[in-house]
Amino acid sequence: MEIFKAIIEHINYIAAATLFVIGLYTVLTHSNLLKKVIGINIMETSIFLFFVSIGYVSGGGSPIISLGGERQIFINPVPSALILTGIVVAVSITAYSLSLIIKLHETYGTIDMDEIMELRGEKN
Amino acid sequence: MNVIHFPVYIMLILLATAVLIPLIASKRFKSSVKEFIMGAFVVSWLLSFTTLRHVMSNGAYTYSFGNWSQKIGIQFLVDEFSSFMTLIILTVAFLVIIYSLKDMEHEIKDYQFSSYYTLIFLLLFSMVGLTITNDMFNMYVFMEILSITSCGIISIKHKKENFLAAMRYLILSAIGSLSVLLGIALLYMVTGHLNMFEVSNVISQVWQSYPTNILVSLGFMVSGFAIKAAVFPLHIWLPDAHSSAPTPSSALLSGLVVKVYIFAVAKILYRIIGVEIVDALGIPTYLTYFAALGMIMGSVFAIGQKDIKRMLAYSSVAQIGYIFMGLGLATVQGFSAALFHIVSHALLKTALFLSAGAIIYQKDKRDLRELNGIGYEMPITMMVFTIAAFGMIGIPGINGFMSKIYLSLAVIDVKKYVYLLIILISSFLNAMYYLPIIISAFLKESEDRKNIMVMDKLPKTMIYPMVIVALGCILMGFFPQIIMNVIERAVPSFLLIGK
Repeated sequence: MEIFKAIIEHINYIAAATLFVIGLYTVLTHSNLLKKVIGINIMETSIFLFFVSIGYVSGGGSPIISLGGERQIFINPVPSALILTGIVVAVSITAYSLSLIIKLHETYGTIDMDEIMELRGEKN
Repeated sequence: MNVIHFPVYIMLILLATAVLIPLIASKRFKSSVKEFIMGAFVVSWLLSFTTLRHVMSNGAYTYSFGNWSQKIGIQFLVDEFSSFMTLIILTVAFLVIIYSLKDMEHEIKDYQFSSYYTLIFLLLFSMVGLTITNDMFNMYVFMEILSITSCGIISIKHKKENFLAAMRYLILSAIGSLSVLLGIALLYMVTGHLNMFEVSNVISQVWQSYPTNILVSLGFMVSGFAIKAAVFPLHIWLPDAHSSAPTPSSALLSGLVVKVYIFAVAKILYRIIGVEIVDALGIPTYLTYFAALGMIMGSVFAIGQKDIKRMLAYSSVAQIGYIFMGLGLATVQGFSAALFHIVSHALLKTALFLSAGAIIYQKDKRDLRELNGIGYEMPITMMVFTIAAFGMIGIPGINGFMSKIYLSLAVIDVKKYVYLLIILISSFLNAMYYLPIIISAFLKESEDRKNIMVMDKLPKTMIYPMVIVALGCILMGFFPQIIMNVIERAVPSFLLIGK
């Protein structure tokens, strides 16, 4: 029962680690560029989950003193604020990579990395 | 004017120029816009020079934004290291940008000029920020700006290879920066701070309670930075990216961008975690293994290349090995050798890429086998190339020789004589792929014309930057103390903090 309790207590971290591995696996194994980008997004989400979980204090309220009500403990607001910046960065990376994929599709006619490598190999 | 604000002014000028360029540039890129760019550059260079002089005479200081305490606010650390490296970044970038004003006409279309210089200024902004910041999350943000803009200056040339190289670089550097972010999160979990001073304070007290956590976090951060700095087994993106990019971009990417990530990894290893803890965890030793592997393999790959820029890119992989070797020794001498080599490689690789770009500009030849007799058609360019190539091989009188001497002395100091042999082998391998180019350029006869000496048919704005960089290499080779004096004052802020 101890193990179950530990798992339930740390479910956020376990989920974050699992998502990170899923994302990394997707980026490394799939040859479709769109899937690679989605994999990067999954990795980003996992880290955001991880970061926000660090700041969580069980039973804590939102860190606004007048709206916190009766509560005396608050969650740590810094990780949440950092993750807002992180989300912006993630969106810009996604936007840029999607635009690159459009350009690659225009020039090579495919968004599959393996096929692109074949096309390049034939040319050489 | 208060000098302590100057680092912030530098970054503000770079950022504001980046925003202003597309606003003031109309469809054609007029010379007034060029003057504006160079003016902004000169001002920020002067500011950075004044900052360095101030720091050298009055000592390091921290700059807290909005006077928040360092526990919650963002902080800049302006010390000998960061102000000196800012000056190096701006100096090299200044020369490359003068060169690029003419060379880029060959590479991209007219209407793209304003976006190119916007990207360049954002790139410089993030490099200066990454060097000077003292906050871990701030470092991550600058890193992401840097990775997007450096992919941008590759893909701005609308060619097939550029899109593919940029895409690869983007995916790998996204993985790299995400691992760095995960490492930062793990460190934040242990310490509850993001400011580097606070983190290192807490870690030096509690590290024995959380060795696994720190080890995992360092593993993520070091491998993330290793992807971005192209340490040997993780270098696969570099040759494509650096060879297909427009020449000024390749010079910036190879000379500066890769180095900035090395600054960041040095900060994390030696300033945040501290040399004793890192040594106890055994990380520097592994760094030297990979560095030694890279020094050999980078050169071996370079020997087989036919394309001149691709060869230079593989040579970068080998040179990064030298720098990481110095870092991994974790001694004062090793670290100073690494910093010295960062500066000398920035100059040498810039000179090599600029002269290779000049050959492509005038003759439109990229293949190494077509360079017979080119020393008689482009004497100045090939002289610059020769000086820089001799520097890479380690001929005395050029800065590459001095950095090899420093590195060898540092290796002897820690009694790891195997690495001495590796430095020697790597130098011979360097000679194996640089000397044939020089020999065929000056001693072989070209097929379609007699070897009659003519001057280079290059615009003056392309010749002067190359010559200045080459003269800088020779100056640094004969008077290494100019650079070494500053480096010797910068190193203690990394390695001797606790002692």
